[in-house]
Amino acid sequence: MSEMAETATAAPAELPPAEGSAFDVVRRVLFGRPATIFATALVALFILVAIFAPWIAPYDPLQQSALDINQDPSAAHWLGTDQFGRDIVSRLIYGSRNSMIFGLLSPTLSAIFGTALGVVAGYFGGWTDRILSRIIDMLLAFPELLLAILVAAVLGGGFWNVVFVITVAFVPGFARVARAATLAVKQEPYVEAATAVGVRTPTIIVRHVIPNIFPSVLVLLTLWTASAIRLEASLSFLGIGTQPPNPSWGNIIRDGLNNLFGSPWPIVGAGIAITVAVLAFNLIGDAVRDELDPELSE
Amino acid sequence: MSELLRVENLSVEFGPKAKPIRVVDGVSFAVPAGGSVGIVGESGSGKSITSLSILRLVPEPPGRIVSGRILFEGKNLLDLPPSALPEFRGRDVAMIFQEPMSSLNPVMTIGDQIGEAIKLHQPLSATERHERVIELLRLVGMPDPASRLGAYPHQFSGGMRQRVMIAMAVACNPKLLIADEPTTALDVTIQAQVLELMKSVRRRLGTAVLLISHDLGIIAETCERVIVMYAGRVLEEGDVRSIFRSPAHPYTRGLLQSIPRLDDDRRRLFQIPGTVPAAGSAGQGCPFYARCPSRVEKCAAEMPPMFRYGDDQLAACWVTAERAGAPMVRAGAAA
Repeated sequence: MSEMAETATAAPAELPPAEGSAFDVVRRVLFGRPATIFATALVALFILVAIFAPWIAPYDPLQQSALDINQDPSAAHWLGTDQFGRDIVSRLIYGSRNSMIFGLLSPTLSAIFGTALGVVAGYFGGWTDRILSRIIDMLLAFPELLLAILVAAVLGGGFWNVVFVITVAFVPGFARVARAATLAVKQEPYVEAATAVGVRTPTIIVRHVIPNIFPSVLVLLTLWTASAIRLEASLSFLGIGTQPPNPSWGNIIRDGLNNLFGSPWPIVGAGIAITVAVLAFNLIGDAVRDELDPELSE
Repeated sequence: MSELLRVENLSVEFGPKAKPIRVVDGVSFAVPAGGSVGIVGESGSGKSITSLSILRLVPEPPGRIVSGRILFEGKNLLDLPPSALPEFRGRDVAMIFQEPMSSLNPVMTIGDQIGEAIKLHQPLSATERHERVIELLRLVGMPDPASRLGAYPHQFSGGMRQRVMIAMAVACNPKLLIADEPTTALDVTIQAQVLELMKSVRRRLGTAVLLISHDLGIIAETCERVIVMYAGRVLEEGDVRSIFRSPAHPYTRGLLQSIPRLDDDRRRLFQIPGTVPAAGSAGQGCPFYARCPSRVEKCAAEMPPMFRYGDDQLAACWVTAERAGAPMVRAGAAA
């Protein structure tokens, strides 16, 4: 009998599905394909630049110089200067801090709040679900940018306001996904089995539901990091995000637009930075989805 | 033997209150302390809902327990407030479910899952708990238990997972273990192992077992008493030997005849003609009327009460009762 039990236990270990330690999974996601290796390298570069901006930037991004306005790229100023004589490379480097912080912080906060809302709605059902879902539907009716503009118009600019605005814009999406995933997990026999041994509801939610819906939330999180970067740039471009003179990729383009004939380099530089950052994060997001979505993992 | 659990006149309904569908209809039975009782019936006979009611796990809404009492050690479980349920689940009554493949949380190690069950009801230190988990895994025949604590459910076969489920269920020495089709999803050879394991756990821990199955063979092998359910009602109950030797209800007879036998040279298997009536469609009479080979007019008009056969056998059938001259048992006084 025990011999049979042994072989029965050993058999599943030979299957090669998406398994392995957490480290293996991360390695497979980030370095699985040439495109994602490239994207990972770019994201790492952006993050390092953002962290070490004060040491990397050749000039103070806020320092104006009336003598050096609208210069073309040169050895001293790699992308030239803007209409106030500020070094564009330095401004882009400091601007990456805003993009990275908003890109990583806001979706994370949205994921936390959105998941909490969605899980509560999905798990408890009934009136709780009806009320929360209607609120979520209402928020979803607005496009993210519009919702963000709405909140920003009320609150004004400033760092935490922008974080809040982007967070609010993404909460409904996370809540919707978390709710759907919770509805599926709630039906799983292991939730019933946990109830049957006497596990209380809060513990069931924290230990049994959330870990099992985490993959869906994580996929959304990585995909929306790029969207958050884009959204921050859009808001700053519209003048309700990061406020000048503090640089952000969005308001660098905005400033450059007024001075298009003086120097096109701010727009070119910031435009490329946004495009590359969004593309890199999207590639990683796709890789995460391919890894975690069982339907696509074939 | 003293009585551990008594279910009296239990009825469970589903669907809207205005148009309820009665899934369990006036079910009564008892489980003695340390005893083993089997409930047998086809799909949809209400046996699972009956067992879920004992743990108050019937999903509400859409389901609700409309009447009856469930006395556990003399206390009516239906009177417990919802906040008292977690305390009682797992400690007094535990349950093993049908699907071992999905009854374990895929993202928790089995050590953690068994530990969680212990943590809820027993104040043990982390090291003591660790020891206890290993002891439980050894009890359910897990080879090399200490090294398996950190394994995840997907690393186990179905039979091994069912062992883990049993370990979880008996973690806090419950007085009653409800097993809802514990072996249905398993290979026949593994089935035998799991049943053997349940028997040995019962012997060693003195746990009463309520086994739900559609397989009379499994019940015969594991249980002392058997309850035959059909369309939400108990049609026959008694000790296993008398029911297998002389089934009183035509439905039980049909079930017994349907078991394929190796020493039989019949070409075709026996089957009970027709299908189980849809839940809630039962009329006034016997629910088995439409499929019964020995039905008479009275059966359609009036639900038969329980009749007593011998010392320890009850069956709800007008025809056999008349033939055998069995005395009627008043409703609610069953067994």
